[in-house]
Amino acid sequence: MTPPDFDAIVVGSGMTGGWAAKELTELGLRTLVLEAGRPIVPEQDYVEHRPLWEMPFRGLGDRRAVAVRQPVQSHSASFDELSHVFWTDDADNPYSTPPDRPFFWFRARQVGGKSIIWGRQVYRWSDLDFEANLREGIAVDWPIRYADIAPWYDHVERFIGVSGQAEGLAHLPDGQFLPPMALNCVEQHVQQQIADRFGRARVLTIGRVANLTVQHHGRAPCHYCGPCQRGCITRSYFSSVNATLPAAQATGRLTLRPFSIVRSLVYDAANTRVTGVRVIDANTKTEREYSARVIFLCASALESARILLNSGVANSSGQVGRNIMDHIKWGGASGVFDGWTDRRTIGERPNGIYVPRFRNVTSRHPDFIRGYGFQGGAGRAGWQAALHAPGIGPALKARLTDLGPWSMSFGGFGEMLPREENRATLHPTLVDRWGIPSLHIECKWSENELAIHRDMNVTAAELLEAAGAKHIEPSTSGPSTPGGTNHEMGTARMGRDPKTSVLNGWNQSWDVPNLFVTDGAAMTSSGCQNPSLTYMALTARACHYAVEQLKRREL
Amino acid sequence: MERRELIRWLAATAGLPSLAFGREVHRRPLRPTLSAHVERTVTVAAERILPGATEANVGVFIDKMLTDWHTPEERARFLGGLPELDVRGRARAGRDFADCPEADQVAVLSTLDEEVSAAGTNDHWFARLKYLTVYGYCTSEVGMRALGLWPQAWRYDGCAPV
Repeated sequence: MTPPDFDAIVVGSGMTGGWAAKELTELGLRTLVLEAGRPIVPEQDYVEHRPLWEMPFRGLGDRRAVAVRQPVQSHSASFDELSHVFWTDDADNPYSTPPDRPFFWFRARQVGGKSIIWGRQVYRWSDLDFEANLREGIAVDWPIRYADIAPWYDHVERFIGVSGQAEGLAHLPDGQFLPPMALNCVEQHVQQQIADRFGRARVLTIGRVANLTVQHHGRAPCHYCGPCQRGCITRSYFSSVNATLPAAQATGRLTLRPFSIVRSLVYDAANTRVTGVRVIDANTKTEREYSARVIFLCASALESARILLNSGVANSSGQVGRNIMDHIKWGGASGVFDGWTDRRTIGERPNGIYVPRFRNVTSRHPDFIRGYGFQGGAGRAGWQAALHAPGIGPALKARLTDLGPWSMSFGGFGEMLPREENRATLHPTLVDRWGIPSLHIECKWSENELAIHRDMNVTAAELLEAAGAKHIEPSTSGPSTPGGTNHEMGTARMGRDPKTSVLNGWNQSWDVPNLFVTDGAAMTSSGCQNPSLTYMALTARACHYAVEQLKRREL
Repeated sequence: MERRELIRWLAATAGLPSLAFGREVHRRPLRPTLSAHVERTVTVAAERILPGATEANVGVFIDKMLTDWHTPEERARFLGGLPELDVRGRARAGRDFADCPEADQVAVLSTLDEEVSAAGTNDHWFARLKYLTVYGYCTSEVGMRALGLWPQAWRYDGCAPV
C-alpha cells in the first residue's frame, strides 16, 4: 500500500482552516491546506489606506457590476467598493431558495476566507448556552460543557489577541484580554446610567474584539484607520493570513494549495474511512486526488455540508444540511443626547459597545426562550448629515463641519433555535461554474426569533431612556434576512447520539472516524454571541484529539 | 515597532496606492455623458451650491457617476431637468445660466433649493445635483483635507476637544 500524500488535509484556509493548519503542523503532521480561491499577498491585496478620492466611485461601489455579479454578497455589512473582491462571484457560485424565503449565503474564496472580512467580535459561551437545548428539550444536547472548551478559549485568545474588559459575568465568561479599547464620553455616561438603573442585571461594556491594543506575537497594535474589511498591513486584527497560516508555515510542514476546489471526499467503504479528496483546479478545471490519514472540513458551515452531501458520507443520521441557524438582527433603538458639544471622537475605532444577554438569564420571559445581546455605539454626525440638508453656498458649506448632537444606537443579535426543516439539500440540476452540484436552501425564522426581534426594540429604548436620551426611536426595520448576519451554522451538528447527530463531542464524524468537521457546521445551538471564537476553540481542541488518536493508531 | 516609526511606515504605505492609481481615477470617463455646455452648467452650479467644488473637480465626478453608476432612467431624469437652469437664467437675466452674473445664479439656485427642499423629495434632478456636489466635494482630496478628514489621525480619542 502506498503511503498517503499527507498526514492531514484541511479543506479551507479561513477562520477554522487556519487554526487546523497551525495546530496540526505544530503537532508534527505534514498538512495540505486546500483553498478554493486565490492567494493573498498583503502588500498588494490589503488596501485599507486607500483614500476615497482614489476609488472610481468614491466608496459607493461599482453599482452596475455588483448588481450582476454580487447581488447577494453585497448585502454583507462589510462589503464595500474595495472589500468586494474578498467575496465570491454570485454568478459563478449559484444556489437557490424558495422565491418567498430568501437566504443570504455570504461566501469568501481566497486564502484567509472570511477571516479577512469578519466583524472580529469575540465572546465566550457559557453553560447557559451549552445546557440550553437539554434544559428546554430543544433539538439535541450539546456533547460538551463550558469546562471542556474553556482551556481552548484560553489557548485561542492568547494567540489571536483579544482586547476587552473583564466584567465577572457568569454567563459571558471573561477571557485572556489585552487592554480594552476606550468608550467615548457619551458611552461612558450611558454605561454609568445603565449601571445606576439596572445594577448588574444589564451591563454595558466595550466590545471584545480581535484587534490588538498592544504589540502581540510580532503584530502591531491597531492604528484606528477604520476599514478592517480591506485588510490590515500591520496585521493588527486576527485573520488566518495575519496569524495562523504564518505560524503553520513556520513549521515547515504546511503545503498551501490555492485554486483548489474540493468536489468530494474519497471514501473507503470497507474500512469506513475517508482516504482523500477530489480536487478541481479552479483555473484549469482539471481534477486530481490527494490522500491523507485524517481530513478536516473547515470550508464554512454550508460549504462543508455541501461537500458531505456531494460525497454521500457521514450522513447516516440524515442531519447533514439540517438545522441551519443564523442570528436575527435589526431590532433596537437610537436616541439623541444633549451635551458634550465641545467633545468629539478622533480616529476610527473598529469596535463598539456590547450589552451581554440579560433575557432569560435569571428570570423567565413569557414570550420567548433564549435571548440576545446588543452591539452599537455613540457618535456625532459627519458631513454625510449635510447630503440632504437645505440651503446652498457658504451656509451649506458651514454645515459640512457641523458635528450635530451626539446620538447612540443599540442593535440586537438574537439566538436562533435549531429546526430540522431549516435545511440545505443538493439541488437536482443547478451546478456552479465548475460543474459541482450546488445547494437549495430553505430557512426561515420561527416565532421565537420573531419575538426576540420585537423585544429588542423595547429594551433598547429602555436602556436609552435610563441614560437620559431624547428623541428615542425604536428600529423600524423588520427582521434581517436569514443568513444576513453571516453567522450561518449547524449543518453537521455535534451530539451524543449517532442517530441524531453528525459529529461526536470531538467534532469527529460518528460514521467516518478519520473525518472531522470543525467550522460552524458543528454547532448544536447558536447562542447569541458572535460565533467565530467558539469555532476556533473547537477546531484547536479537535486537532489535539485527532493527533492523539493518530498516535494511538485509533484512526 | 515604536509608534513614531509605525506612523512613518503607515504614511509610506498609504502613499503607494496614490502613485499607482491616482492619475487614472482623476481621468474623465472614456465616453463622457455631459456635453461641453452641460458640463459648464454643472460645474458653475456646483460651485455656487458648494464653494470649492470647482477646485475639487466635482464636475468630473458627476460626469463619471452619470456615465458609469446611475441607471439610464436616473441619468435621463437628471439631464432632462438640467435645462431648467438655462430657462430660469434667461427668464431672470436674459442669458443661459452659466453666463448669468453670479448674483442671478445664486438667486436661481436658491429658489430651486427652496422649492425642492419644501417638496421633500430626493428624486428631483436638483436634489441629485446637490447630493453629487456635496458627496463629490467631501470625498475629494481637496475636500477631505479641508474638512480635516485627511490625513488620518491614526489614534483613537473618544473624548477629544472639538
